[in-house]
Amino acid sequence: MQTQSIPTTLSSVLRASLFCFALTCSCIAGTSGNFAIAQIDAERVFAAKVEPILTSKCLSCHGEEATKREGGFSVSNRESLVQGGDSGQPSIISGSGLSSPLVLAISRTHDAWSAMPPKESERLNPEEINAIVKWIDAGAPWLDSERMKKVREQMSEESATNDLDATVSLHTSGGTSQSWSNRLYKRSDVWAYQPLSRPTIAQDGPKAIDELIALRMPEGLKPAPAAKASDFIRRATLDLTGLPPTAKEIEVFEHQYLVDPDKAVSTLVDRLLASPHYGERMAQHWLDVVRYADSSGLANDYERGNAWRYRDYVIRSFNTDKPFDQFATEQIAGDEIDPANPEFLIATGFLRMGPWELTGMEVPKVARQRFLDDVTNSVGETFLGHSLQCARCHDHKFDPIPTRDYYSVQAVFATTQFAEREAPFLDWENQSGFGEARFLSRREEDYIATLERLNAIQIEAAEEWFRKEKLPSDDWHRELARLSKLPPSDSAEQTKGRVDTFAKARESLRKKGSGEEHVPPVHIGFGPQEHGHYRLAKKGLERIRWQQDRYLPLAFSVYSGPTPNRKNMLAPPRMPKNPEANAELEQTSILAGGDPFSPAAQVTPGFLSVVSDLGVSMPDSMAGRRTALAQWIVHPANPLTVRVLANRIWMWHFGDAIAGNPNNFGATGKKPTHPELLDWLASKLISNRWSIKSMHRLIMNSQAYRRSCQHPKPSKLLELDPNRSSYAAFRPRRLTAEELRDATLLSTGELNLAIGGIPCRPEINLEAAMQPRQVMGTFAEAWVPNALPHHRNRRSIYTLKLRGVVDPSQEVFNAPASDFSCERRETTLITPQIYSLFHSRQSYLRSLQLARRALGEGNESNQAIVDRLFLFALGRTPDDVERHAAIEHWQDMEKVRAQEPIQLEGQPLVIHREAVEENTGEKFQFDEKLYENEEFVADIDIKSCDARTMALAEIALVLFNSNEFIYVY
Amino acid sequence: MFTDPALATSDSRQHRRSVLYSLGAGLGSIAFSALLAKEQRLFGAQSVNDKLKPHFPNAKAKRCIFLMMEGGPSHIDTFDPKPALKKFHLQEFVREGAQKSAMESGKRYYVESPFRFIKAGQSGADMAENWIHLAKVADELCFFRGCQVDSVNHPTAMYQMNCGNRFGGDPAIGSWVTYGLGAENEDLPGYIVLPEVSYPQGGAANWGNGFLPASHQGTPLRAKGSPILDLSPPPGVAPEHQRKGLDLLRVLNDKHSREHPWHDELSARMQNYELAFRMQMQVPDALDISGETESTRLAYGIGRPETDAFGRKCLLARKLIEKGVRFVQLYQGSWDSHDYLARAHSSLVRSVDQPIAQLIIDLKQRGLLEETLVVWCGEFGRTPDNGVRGGIAYGRDHNPNAMTIWLAGGGCNAGITVGATDELGMTAIEDVHHVRDFHVTLLRLLGLDDNRLTYYHAGRFKQLSQFGGESIAKLIAS
Repeated sequence: MQTQSIPTTLSSVLRASLFCFALTCSCIAGTSGNFAIAQIDAERVFAAKVEPILTSKCLSCHGEEATKREGGFSVSNRESLVQGGDSGQPSIISGSGLSSPLVLAISRTHDAWSAMPPKESERLNPEEINAIVKWIDAGAPWLDSERMKKVREQMSEESATNDLDATVSLHTSGGTSQSWSNRLYKRSDVWAYQPLSRPTIAQDGPKAIDELIALRMPEGLKPAPAAKASDFIRRATLDLTGLPPTAKEIEVFEHQYLVDPDKAVSTLVDRLLASPHYGERMAQHWLDVVRYADSSGLANDYERGNAWRYRDYVIRSFNTDKPFDQFATEQIAGDEIDPANPEFLIATGFLRMGPWELTGMEVPKVARQRFLDDVTNSVGETFLGHSLQCARCHDHKFDPIPTRDYYSVQAVFATTQFAEREAPFLDWENQSGFGEARFLSRREEDYIATLERLNAIQIEAAEEWFRKEKLPSDDWHRELARLSKLPPSDSAEQTKGRVDTFAKARESLRKKGSGEEHVPPVHIGFGPQEHGHYRLAKKGLERIRWQQDRYLPLAFSVYSGPTPNRKNMLAPPRMPKNPEANAELEQTSILAGGDPFSPAAQVTPGFLSVVSDLGVSMPDSMAGRRTALAQWIVHPANPLTVRVLANRIWMWHFGDAIAGNPNNFGATGKKPTHPELLDWLASKLISNRWSIKSMHRLIMNSQAYRRSCQHPKPSKLLELDPNRSSYAAFRPRRLTAEELRDATLLSTGELNLAIGGIPCRPEINLEAAMQPRQVMGTFAEAWVPNALPHHRNRRSIYTLKLRGVVDPSQEVFNAPASDFSCERRETTLITPQIYSLFHSRQSYLRSLQLARRALGEGNESNQAIVDRLFLFALGRTPDDVERHAAIEHWQDMEKVRAQEPIQLEGQPLVIHREAVEENTGEKFQFDEKLYENEEFVADIDIKSCDARTMALAEIALVLFNSNEFIYVY
Repeated sequence: MFTDPALATSDSRQHRRSVLYSLGAGLGSIAFSALLAKEQRLFGAQSVNDKLKPHFPNAKAKRCIFLMMEGGPSHIDTFDPKPALKKFHLQEFVREGAQKSAMESGKRYYVESPFRFIKAGQSGADMAENWIHLAKVADELCFFRGCQVDSVNHPTAMYQMNCGNRFGGDPAIGSWVTYGLGAENEDLPGYIVLPEVSYPQGGAANWGNGFLPASHQGTPLRAKGSPILDLSPPPGVAPEHQRKGLDLLRVLNDKHSREHPWHDELSARMQNYELAFRMQMQVPDALDISGETESTRLAYGIGRPETDAFGRKCLLARKLIEKGVRFVQLYQGSWDSHDYLARAHSSLVRSVDQPIAQLIIDLKQRGLLEETLVVWCGEFGRTPDNGVRGGIAYGRDHNPNAMTIWLAGGGCNAGITVGATDELGMTAIEDVHHVRDFHVTLLRLLGLDDNRLTYYHAGRFKQLSQFGGESIAKLIAS
């Protein structure tokens, strides 16, 4: 492996890959003479390249049958191919590839021949075109299926294992066509399925990393020296905790570093790994991948009241350095393994992280299939580096994943059912803040009062109706009297009875046989206003049922069993008393085109067949399928999982992964830049019993991680490493959205560092918070922050993450939406970031707080105060130029603020809303009361701030906006 | 196995480009593209204008106004009369089979349309008679009755109509169009959305840029409050104070840049501050319609309660188009009339009829109609029958199998109706096309080839139609 030179530039990749098989195989032709050699080469070109191209790119429109023969042209056999189509000209001129019309069409350069394939996205690449040219040049030999099989077997056997451009055949459970099953893969495209290699290296520990990086260092490029101590501690602290170091921590580290850099670094890494905030930072990475959210998304965006326990479970798992094989197993099959352990039930929340709902509008089978597709793909992306969804409708175009395997994995989840299961709170779970439930109760009371009021309106209108229609109303009144005597109760059903006597009476009379014309019309007494309020109250009560789950000892979890027959899911599902009742055991089939109504061949639960048999047996019973899948996923001989994890951990430190698409190790993903390093890290993970903390120690103590961002010869670096993949210098990064908010709150002293608990609701842009938000048929409630500062000013990972509400200040800094798995954070630079950071009320609040903190008692010199302001925000004191400019700005602004104080809006108590009502299409109005705001305690009383504080806040604002604050080196 | 390595490998120049394009944008900073252009010159990149040439240079449409009738307007009660429903009125309707949803449970019955229909214009287009104003421009319209979608739920259907993908997350049509055609005016975003005060179901993802660079995100100009969030600093902070703050920021950033001379993002970020500072003063002007004459405002229905909101949007859309915005999407809802169809659709039609008709007239008078494609549609159509939910307050439920879309201007085949639904309006039966074909056609009218307007993401080339589709020739003027 070490001797194999890897081409680094695009052109050399192309050059090297052209006809490698033609070059390497002439020796086996033996004594057959030159012609025979050429013939055999051409056969190989056909088997390896041409036939797969014709089949995958041409055959669907130029098939054998007349209906599939566009332009009268077919590529299904040599005769029809040579003969050509309606043009009357032969498509290939044997021996002259470049002038053959087929080549003119695929090279898309000739006006007379339409570009083929027509879709730009399917155009052939130069390598493919060359293969066809070469094949025609050599007489365009055609192979029957027997010969084809033989040639392919031979080629596969011969291909040297270290030759990345060599082609290999892979054994799978088989595709829907023979040619798919027999196709050959470029070794470099299927690297991830190969067993881990063990590079022979001289050193171990962090030094091994440096040795493996040196192996691929471009010739003539020397790595940068170590980073400054102050840069390094900031880098390491943010990487492991998501928080910047304090000025004191920086000072101590700088001192230790002077004495013994290696020891200082390893001590620092150990200290940070022991911090409870380590788990929070790592959990954020994990939650990005699994698409964590506290709500269901889609039309209703119902809250997932217990999802927070899963979030905290992830944090705990990282903090205790739970071996990853166990962590993965618990998330996939915790409920099967130990349903009595709340932790294990909570862990399976992973399986339900995708957006999902079942409204009454949708066909239940379609909704169920959405879950199955979602969870299959999610398990693939999260653990196997493979977005399996490409194999949902057909055998995978590029990767050795037949559609059969997709459905075999999916069959594992055919018995996975949703339930919010009883799971007593654990001692270490943060159960504070449950008192906020009282605000939900007040809203609930409001909705019930609304329904009672509307019910009374309808009952009154019904009286009028009976009079007008001159119909007997005795039955009606008897029914109403009976209903009103029912004892009021707290249960949801009874409550409904009390507020819905009109509808109940109507329903009961209709059941007793009264015709529609003998009972009052269903919406009697309602105008747009009443309709609108009715929907709000009904939906409001429905939503509260999901929100109230936050405080209950329930786990957002699953069980194994048959699929319940459900028409909708308007309340959180509980564990059924009898899971077998009114339920159906799903039988999984390959679905033609992914359509749940087009089942084809049945499949049994299974694994990805391209990974060699790991000896894990898959039961066909209802329970145990996921346990088996988990065992297979974390099996040490499964080359995917361990590489995926090693690759992710690397990226969490260096910003870029070794294989650039951590969710996609397939042919279309980026290839590993340092394959030996990746495999070495993966082997280490296994020998360290899947300890993630041990990996941080290895990586962070390496020279590569400790390097400066500043390369001594930047132009040399640019020239020799244009893709910046050599690790010759460290890559700076911008703070993530969450780090930015947390660092700001930390500097002002406001950040509540408590771990875990129910989601918090920080103040967000007021207009965004109050933005009316449609949910099915009506409107969702506004975003209301927690009443108390220490409840809302918590770390960002604890923020209530509703799919339907974005905090603009987070969104603009690339906090991912939770619809898709986020394998790597983007960093874009867009103007709204400036508006958020430089203009927003939130930024001014933080600036005022920082100013107040720096002012302290306020009786020190301006210089001392400004120095402290810098120290809190940037961890350093200003230089003379900065200090002078800051003090001058402060003094100027103090004069301005004495005349013109800053004004910041408070939180409203009521919002008046006007909207179009769905039933009538007319406008209606309502007032939304924000009860929690009645107890709102502002972060800072702006009226108590004097001009001096406000003016100093302007400097704080600048510090928060500075490049130094936002970048990490 | 046949990917082009050039597309799979990260290229530092490509990375720089994507950073630059994304300088424009996101939640929408108007005129960020000024900086964009400057930056591009700085780095020798081509301008957004000539980024991509249209694939079909002869296409007439250069921009698009997309009128999104959120909630699913009923084709049966607007542009696709079904007199046969009269004889089935209130008769029971039964739908069975595996695909039954809860929407089909309980007793259902047919509902005739409460609207009378006329034949409008020389073309004799079918229109409910309450489209009083639109009837006057009937000959400019091209109706399409053959479109079908996959989803019966609002947000997923909205995503599919807007982004091609039911589950959201993909770029919206407007993003693809600006990606394909570039910006005509570098001082305004190429894709502007005029939403209702409340965002549609599915929220801002309906105009998201998906995997395309952030500069192609739709910029919503909020109907109330600040058009762009935090465009202005809090009261009490005047521009001259901000200027001083920026000067201090420069002192700090300059020092920082000297310490990190090779870090080229630093200067781009500082420039972004200067740009944001200028833009916050220019945006309000761009949105001001007070300069229009009283008669123009009246013609759009501005000032009358029922038409004011949508009239303003239509007039603003025309102004934005004139300034070179590529794609303007206007929202009006909610057409989700499960009950009281007559009342709900009447008031909705009233709110859009005059503004839309005037928009078409105005575009035509200004010679803009030929270059401007106007699209009117919802996310799906409605059923000829109604469930118990409405009692006898006649309404209609969601119908993914039949709907009416109409086009105007931009080289569409004005004056004809393409496709047909069955006798009851349940499902399209002639010129039936999945919405992906409609998307391909829209792009085609705008000079873009869906198969060539692709972007490499998550392992494959993605396109608006998802997996390709066909252009509906009948919708395009020959």
